[in-house]
Amino acid sequence: MKLLRVDMNQSQVRWEPVPPVYERLGGRALIARVLLEEVPPTCDALGPLNKLILAPGLLGGCSVTAAGRLSVGGKSPLTKGAKEANAGGTAGDVLGKLGIKAVILEGQAPKDQWLILRIHSDSAELLPAGNSRGLGTYATSDLLQEMYGASCTVISIGQAGEMCMGGAGICVTGEGRQRSNHAARGGLGAVMGSKGLKAIVVDKPTGKTPPFADADLFRGAARTFAQKLINDPKLGTKGSQHLYGTASIVAAVNEMGSFPTRNFSNGNFEGAETLRGEHLREVTLARGGEAGTRCMPGCVIACRNVYVDATGKPIVGTLQYETIALLGSNLGLGNLDEVAVLNRMCNDFGLDTIETGAALGVAIEAGQGQFGDFESIRRLLAHVGEGTVLGRIIGNGAVATGRVLGIRRVPAAVGQAMPGYDPRSLKGNGVTYATSPQGADHTAGNAFGARKEVNPLGIQGQKELSLRLQIIAAMLDSTGLCLFARPPIIANPQLMVDMINGRYGWGWTVEDYDRFNRDVLRTELEFNRRAGLTTADYRLPEFMHTEPLPPHNATFDVPDTDLDTVFETL
Amino acid sequence: MKISIELFGQLSPLSPRRQTLDLAPQSKVQEAAAILGLNSEEIGIITINGVQSEMEDHLTEGCRLCFFPYLSGG
Repeated sequence: MKLLRVDMNQSQVRWEPVPPVYERLGGRALIARVLLEEVPPTCDALGPLNKLILAPGLLGGCSVTAAGRLSVGGKSPLTKGAKEANAGGTAGDVLGKLGIKAVILEGQAPKDQWLILRIHSDSAELLPAGNSRGLGTYATSDLLQEMYGASCTVISIGQAGEMCMGGAGICVTGEGRQRSNHAARGGLGAVMGSKGLKAIVVDKPTGKTPPFADADLFRGAARTFAQKLINDPKLGTKGSQHLYGTASIVAAVNEMGSFPTRNFSNGNFEGAETLRGEHLREVTLARGGEAGTRCMPGCVIACRNVYVDATGKPIVGTLQYETIALLGSNLGLGNLDEVAVLNRMCNDFGLDTIETGAALGVAIEAGQGQFGDFESIRRLLAHVGEGTVLGRIIGNGAVATGRVLGIRRVPAAVGQAMPGYDPRSLKGNGVTYATSPQGADHTAGNAFGARKEVNPLGIQGQKELSLRLQIIAAMLDSTGLCLFARPPIIANPQLMVDMINGRYGWGWTVEDYDRFNRDVLRTELEFNRRAGLTTADYRLPEFMHTEPLPPHNATFDVPDTDLDTVFETL
Repeated sequence: MKISIELFGQLSPLSPRRQTLDLAPQSKVQEAAAILGLNSEEIGIITINGVQSEMEDHLTEGCRLCFFPYLSGG
């Protein structure tokens, strides 16, 4: 495999052999190590010393179901620490097939010079961004596929990334005309924008498959893994995830009192009935939309949808749980048509729907709009694309919005907005938000649905649960696996060990695999420590400790001593 | 005692989605599930008045009992 280094200062690209220190790493694990080895931890996240790293997971390009995610990382302008966000689409698969371990973007293009990186089968080049400058991600993807071929994968930023907004993510195209896969979190779109890179266009590899050290071992494990997913009651063709998508959990999170409502002031939304996954499916199918489609080639879970308006015209694909929570209930909206419009706007501007939904909630609390009033919210969001002063405030995320508008009820940890689980009623997620090196990020260790193990409203066992989940998340993010594909690996880690050994011949044991996963967290925590993050950065906002959340009137009361000792057994 | 029930996801076509049951005092969740004809292997999450619960937990007069299929957060 090889590394592609892109020097944005000099507009030069360079292929390198993979140095030994990176050889056995992929995805999030590789990003963490590159950050620690190559990026000064105290650097300006939007300055020339930060690097943007794009890396498929260890299984990228191997055609393992649900394992084609692309990890993107760098020092986050929001958390000021290590950040990895990943997206579906075709990028992880094509980069893996091309034998590219990582693309590492360094330096910054001269001011106002915008570039596109083209990656061919055996070469790469930087080109002027031309007319794509200033476009949203939909138009950028359309334009570049028109110019370079419909089979290309386009990785792009929208206006938010160009304006270096902290809420900006990175958009990845998928099979056919599919759009809207986002490595959304942590402001990595702003890092890409700070480098002067508008997009990366990757040619579809033809006839390329990675070499296998033991093809039989690999194929056997990959086949068993896919079959286990198909047989899983949550994930197979009769499972909630496939039928109702990620929105399958709306009703349960709402019932459990953890559904963010009107800027995290209630855990139960009276309008949740029409936000549920069941309703989403019913409306989608009745109008001629799509449900149960996939975001990555060959995924057997297929939890994606294409949400359409009353005339059958697509609004957005895919409408997901976190978006429904942050742009729906959190803004007092119970109408999926309205949520879908806001979602499309965020996707087009290249904004994280979680960060932006939380920022809008804070802005509304400051009197800039009204909860439940779609038109006032749509106008607020439009400001972001226009780049007005108000738009730049909201586009820079929940913390910036709260600071400028004088609101202290800001649902964020380590500078990053909380996703769709109020931690007062789902305390395991609170522990993850308050300890993960990734900041408030449910994908770093989601405790929802951990039945029989731990009472979500209690404090017992939460720190142990969060640590276990954080270790698993590190594995998923480093192998390219989707978060939802975890059950077979949790049940039998040997499956992952066999896939890795079949691909690379490393002779891993389950103990090696466990050490690898833990090392990801250790590396990120060390980067954050060197970056100057302290306990105060990680703590949840004060109002969550003091303001009881209806309907359970819960506060976040996991003791600080528990939070401070989560990684004692790492 | 009377309790209200709501079923979600794939469980709801099996029985009316919302209903009221009249049960003997001290009844458990599993007795309500049996009356509704739910297969315990298809039940992923149970809540009583919004609190995550199990099949062996007792119901109380006027409580709200919800059954969800297996769900995956994330």
